[in-house]
Amino acid sequence: MSAPAYAELHCLSNFSFGRGASSARELFERAQALGYTALAITDEASLAGIVRAFEAAKASGVALIVGSEMQLADGPKLVVLAETLTGYQTLCRWITQGRRRARKGDYRLCRADLADPGPGLLALWLPGDTPDVEHGEWVRRTFGVNAWLAVELHRGCNDAARLIRLRDLGTQLQLPLVATGDVHMHARGRRALQDTLTAIRHHTTVADAGHRLFANGERHLRRRDVLATVYPTELLAAAVAIASRCTFTLTQLQYRYPTEVVPAGETPASWLHALTRQGCHWRWPNGTHASVQQQIEHELALITELEYERYFLTVYDIVRFARERGILCQGRGSAANSAVCYALGITEVDPSRVNMLMERFISRERKEPPDIDVDFDSTRREEVIQYIYDRYGRDRAALTAIATTYAGRSTIRDVAKALGLAPDQVDALAKTLGRWGDGAPDPTRVREAGFDPDSPVLKRVLALTAQLMDFPRHLSQHPGGFVISDAPLHTLVPVENAAMPDRTIIQWDKDDLDTLGLLKIDVLGIGMLGAISRCLDMLRATGRRDLTPATIPAEDPDVYAMIQRADTVGVFQIESRAQMAMLPRLKPANYYDLVVEVAIVRPGPIEGKMVHPYLRRRQGLEPVVYPSPALEKVLSRTLGIPLFQEQVMQIAMVAAGYTPGEADQLRRSMAAWKRHGGLEPHRERLLTGMRARGYADDFAAQIFEQIKGFGSYGFPESHAASYALVAYISCWLKHHEPAAFACALINTPTQMGFYTPDQILQDVRRNRIAVRPVDVRYSDWECTLELDRDDPGAQPAIRLGMNQINGFVQATAERLMLARAKRAFTQIEELAERVGLDRRALDKLADANALCGLVGHRNRARWAASGIEATLPLFAGMEASPEARIVMAPPTRGEAVLADYASTGTTLGSHPLALIRKQLRAKRCRPSRELGTLPHGAIIRHAGLVTLRQRPHTANGVTFVTLEDEDGSVNVVVWRDLAERQRRDLIDARLLAVDGRWESVDGVSHLIASRLQNLTSLLGSLQVVSHDYH
Amino acid sequence: MLWACVLLPHLALDGVLRRHAEPDRPLVLVSGPAQRRVLVAVNDAAAQGGLHRGQSLGAAQALAADLTLVEYDADQVARWQQFLAAWAYRYSSQVSIAFPGAIALEIAGSLSLFGPWPRLQARLREELAVLGFRHRIALAPTASAAWVLSGHHDGLTVTTPAHLQRALCAVPLRRARLPNNAAIALDKMGLRDLGKLFSLPRAALAKRYGPELLTHLDRIRGQQVEVLPLYRPPDVFDARIEFNYEVSNSQVLLFPLRRLIGDLAAYLSGRDGGVQRFLVRLEHDDHPDSEVVIGLLTPERNAGVLFDLAKGRLEQITVPAPVRGMRLLARELPPFVPAVGELFDGRAQQAMPWTQLRERLRTRLGNASVYTLTAAAEHRPERAWRRVQEATTSTVCAVQSPRPTWLLARPIPLRDARLRLLAGPERIESGWWDGGDAQRDYYVIETAIGQRAWAYCPAGDVGPFMLHGWFA
Repeated sequence: MSAPAYAELHCLSNFSFGRGASSARELFERAQALGYTALAITDEASLAGIVRAFEAAKASGVALIVGSEMQLADGPKLVVLAETLTGYQTLCRWITQGRRRARKGDYRLCRADLADPGPGLLALWLPGDTPDVEHGEWVRRTFGVNAWLAVELHRGCNDAARLIRLRDLGTQLQLPLVATGDVHMHARGRRALQDTLTAIRHHTTVADAGHRLFANGERHLRRRDVLATVYPTELLAAAVAIASRCTFTLTQLQYRYPTEVVPAGETPASWLHALTRQGCHWRWPNGTHASVQQQIEHELALITELEYERYFLTVYDIVRFARERGILCQGRGSAANSAVCYALGITEVDPSRVNMLMERFISRERKEPPDIDVDFDSTRREEVIQYIYDRYGRDRAALTAIATTYAGRSTIRDVAKALGLAPDQVDALAKTLGRWGDGAPDPTRVREAGFDPDSPVLKRVLALTAQLMDFPRHLSQHPGGFVISDAPLHTLVPVENAAMPDRTIIQWDKDDLDTLGLLKIDVLGIGMLGAISRCLDMLRATGRRDLTPATIPAEDPDVYAMIQRADTVGVFQIESRAQMAMLPRLKPANYYDLVVEVAIVRPGPIEGKMVHPYLRRRQGLEPVVYPSPALEKVLSRTLGIPLFQEQVMQIAMVAAGYTPGEADQLRRSMAAWKRHGGLEPHRERLLTGMRARGYADDFAAQIFEQIKGFGSYGFPESHAASYALVAYISCWLKHHEPAAFACALINTPTQMGFYTPDQILQDVRRNRIAVRPVDVRYSDWECTLELDRDDPGAQPAIRLGMNQINGFVQATAERLMLARAKRAFTQIEELAERVGLDRRALDKLADANALCGLVGHRNRARWAASGIEATLPLFAGMEASPEARIVMAPPTRGEAVLADYASTGTTLGSHPLALIRKQLRAKRCRPSRELGTLPHGAIIRHAGLVTLRQRPHTANGVTFVTLEDEDGSVNVVVWRDLAERQRRDLIDARLLAVDGRWESVDGVSHLIASRLQNLTSLLGSLQVVSHDYH
Repeated sequence: MLWACVLLPHLALDGVLRRHAEPDRPLVLVSGPAQRRVLVAVNDAAAQGGLHRGQSLGAAQALAADLTLVEYDADQVARWQQFLAAWAYRYSSQVSIAFPGAIALEIAGSLSLFGPWPRLQARLREELAVLGFRHRIALAPTASAAWVLSGHHDGLTVTTPAHLQRALCAVPLRRARLPNNAAIALDKMGLRDLGKLFSLPRAALAKRYGPELLTHLDRIRGQQVEVLPLYRPPDVFDARIEFNYEVSNSQVLLFPLRRLIGDLAAYLSGRDGGVQRFLVRLEHDDHPDSEVVIGLLTPERNAGVLFDLAKGRLEQITVPAPVRGMRLLARELPPFVPAVGELFDGRAQQAMPWTQLRERLRTRLGNASVYTLTAAAEHRPERAWRRVQEATTSTVCAVQSPRPTWLLARPIPLRDARLRLLAGPERIESGWWDGGDAQRDYYVIETAIGQRAWAYCPAGDVGPFMLHGWFA
């Protein structure tokens, strides 16, 4: 007897967080192997996993039924299945309602919400252990002929008795019965993981979870012959019959771009053409060059053909808003750097400066939207977001979700906790993994941490960790990916609350949107745009210059000379130590070199071993050759070495015969292979394709390795082009307006990444810019420029603002500025009274030495500040009885430096090392200014404050240390064996002396350490903050 | 008055180390929430490895692989302070633990008994060394001054006001134990020692740091009387009877035992408390004492009950040598909650109250033999219940599935050719996490002779069966 047909109508994927223990792919593969007719994915009040299920269903050939399990707050538990598109839309509306009224991650649905289901929805009642007849009656009443009673038998204590009981109930309520499986995992083997998830969900351990665990592993996709022994035939047949009624598929969803971006009387095409024409007059007042004109015509034709006009118009609308408000922005990504986008003002990258073919980004054959990200001044991005909500309404615009996945430490931490390991053990175990590492823990590291990976407990922990890795964990909001639709979003996808108040997210992520062809616009923030904006404002306000990003002179050779010297502290992107080491070698001399520079210092090219070949070719040490004339076109702009993601796709097309659509598949696999594998088919495909076109096997293999190296880190040229532009603008400002640029940087907290304000200020002081201390008589909240009255052309001085005082409050500073504008302060008592300063604020000002002009040195200021009492309103204006003056000694130079650092994080006095230079000389440590003149290979000793310790995983265990002294910074390389021998000195030292060999090649210098010495004790209690990156 | 202050700078660590088998291996005390564990104290070996107080546990573990971690326990530290106060009580009736991490004792009255201060000081140091507590000692006319000076200059002896003033002036502010964080603020103003502080106008100081600062400054200089809370030794019952003859018959010991227990019961009722544990020590000549420990599940103070228990235990031991004295020591004296008696006591004359019966059974059969059962939330039947010693009323969790009344301690093969399956299978698959993963199909079975059995076989099979229980 052959097994009966079956379709599973109640099945959770791992998007039912903490419950489902299998991915949609695993479920569908198993359903196919078992010969199921169809499989419903019914995650609890969620469609977050449905697009993945849709893809898995396509791959497996088993039909997907879209549905959801929901527990009503005041009623029964149901599975609701979408029979038709109308039913699907109702389901989305319900889930949206239930989710929107609960806090993030939760939902609350009541009978009233479901009162009028309308057509197209089928309901299965899940009666629970003790069925409530009244619930059944309600289901029958509400859903009528579209309701069933779901029978779920899992080898409980008496399945036979339960079946009889449910049959009676069905007869009594006139509800037909159907067999369903309450599936939580694809196979019984996931039982341990399912138990673990349950324990994690309940914040307990598996041992203590008791009856919250399922008694057995029956809730998996069971074989059909087994089901035949559990359920009567007619119940199985009922499931198949229901499945055959559900004809809805996600392909029926019709997404439309917003229509209001086109004014009445215009078509989308005519309006886009009109705006582009306008833009051309604005960009090229003297008329467009013929080639540009031709490119624009070509792009417009392509956009019209693919009906993307409204997408471009929507992006244009947002950028137009930003421009009107004076918010700097810069488009980025696939279609952003086109001539049309330049004309529309979406990008500042002039198409004549970089040769970008739009087809590289918009493909004719993929019916898939182009991708435009727009970076805004991060301090003002919120205004743009609010504009989008206002313009399209909250029901038509929402952020995309990110399915945050279990990764590295969080996984092993949760698993170890659920298995009952002690907190200290959990910690120690978690440290064996990188924070975001996605590999399984390495047994040797586990052993080093003092665990035996072969012990049964550890084996379980490691095995479950490997299974849980990459499971979705919760939905969170994408930093700025907006979905905007013409119809309300909840007719497409459920919308739920994000953790942030007033933010709503749809239940799908970026990849889901790609699959279904929905419009997404990334509204992101870049701190540097904020700093540039402030800098330009400051230049305008001080009457020095009136510039916009577009009018900053392009291709200034002096700026490139500065870049080639690696004098780039504080600029965008090319400021890190690794970038600085690359600049003197690569010697960027034009805009496109900057594009390369931005992209080359990335794990992709580094792991793909493309950096050194490129540099050798650039320096003329190696001939520039191409594997074939066809590839010359692809690779000529990067001297024959593929550096960008786009080039890899083009190689696949040109050399291995991929279609553009297939190449895009390859790009996606490149981004995802570490998580999901799936590159192997491409390997075969590439090798045979390239062999057939006459390329050598080892070249093909090398290309494949490069593709793998690109992995998740591949950097697209289209993004590098935008970043390079911002980098250039920041470099131009740093070169021509160093004071204003530094001042803007330290006023933009979101931009402070790699360097501290202290380092930025030391950098400008070395360039002879005056920096003046915080002073209540002159300082604003922000740092300001003070012009030189005698020489208006000279660089202004920087006056530190009260924002540099650790813990000072902006509102207080603003009160102070207001009071000062009326009348200058002469006495500390008067200052305190007029501004209403409390003791804490006064202490902070005294600590910062900002009262110096009123009461003298810092010790006096502190004593005076501590004596100010909060003035009672009654006595306001009365002279306090003067205190007897007492004699106080001024602080020593060392104390002053310490106090400066503690309060403002910087000092305008001597650098701390200058104070101990004598002792350092006695120890034969040479200052950094003497090193520049040393020959390559000199053996020296140098000491400095440790400002950076970094062990990048691309560097084979090498630790990079940066030491700072009164004259500048020195880069130290510590090889792995020395780092291990002197681990303690390396980790502990704040002042480190290094014996080593001075290496200086191509203007890049390093000190290769052979011995370390911890000199921290020389500093006394000076506090120096190091950025440690592990 | 002369106050000695014994400062115990490493009290928490010393308290741990003195009990530790290998105090020379790296050991640290840790504290803080799980994500931010910090070292509170490190021993010498750990310090040599580069560990220090305030370091994060993660950093410490990166430096020292083989590190013993001990959780810092503030209560334990307080107990050690109490312990040392009890020790100091031998030398003075005025002992104070008012200063954190220190013991202050008034010794002017003790010098006649224990010799001049240098001799007494040497004795204190010697005993502290034997006890395993590192210490600093100073002597001064006021307790506060002794406390401040002990942190500044170990061994300093100050007896005259003039000397006191001089000594105090040299104390750095950071060690002056100033209240309200005044030391940090004043030190930041460049004021380095107490001498500087004494020279500042009092009003200006009070305005800034409150009257507490002036009080402290006055107390250490003896300008204001200081009243310290004094340490009182804890309540214990300790009574002893010495025999004038050697007793080798345990029956004879019952008389003095009854008397001591009578005294204990009287004492207990006097303080309205009970006893949960006490000790009877039999003293021998030329032989270590024999000890009998009597523990109870609930506090008790009835002389009859207590005597019964002690008698039972005493009868079980063999006395190695003739007894010269008997001592009864009771330290655990919790409050006593009397059982509420029934209005109409329905017990038969010979019957014994349950608590008394329970204690008698425990005495006769051993503590582990008397237990109660409690249900446990577990799918595996053999683990769905457990034994507990405490006389608590357990909350029985509802078991939904039918379970046999008698579960066999160990399943045995069920060999019956004519059995009948009544219900099942009920599948149990659980317990993978402790290595005892069960994968069984349970059936309710009627045996050939009509008994109802609960038996299982491997999941998916039908037979051979293992018998796991009987239905009543």
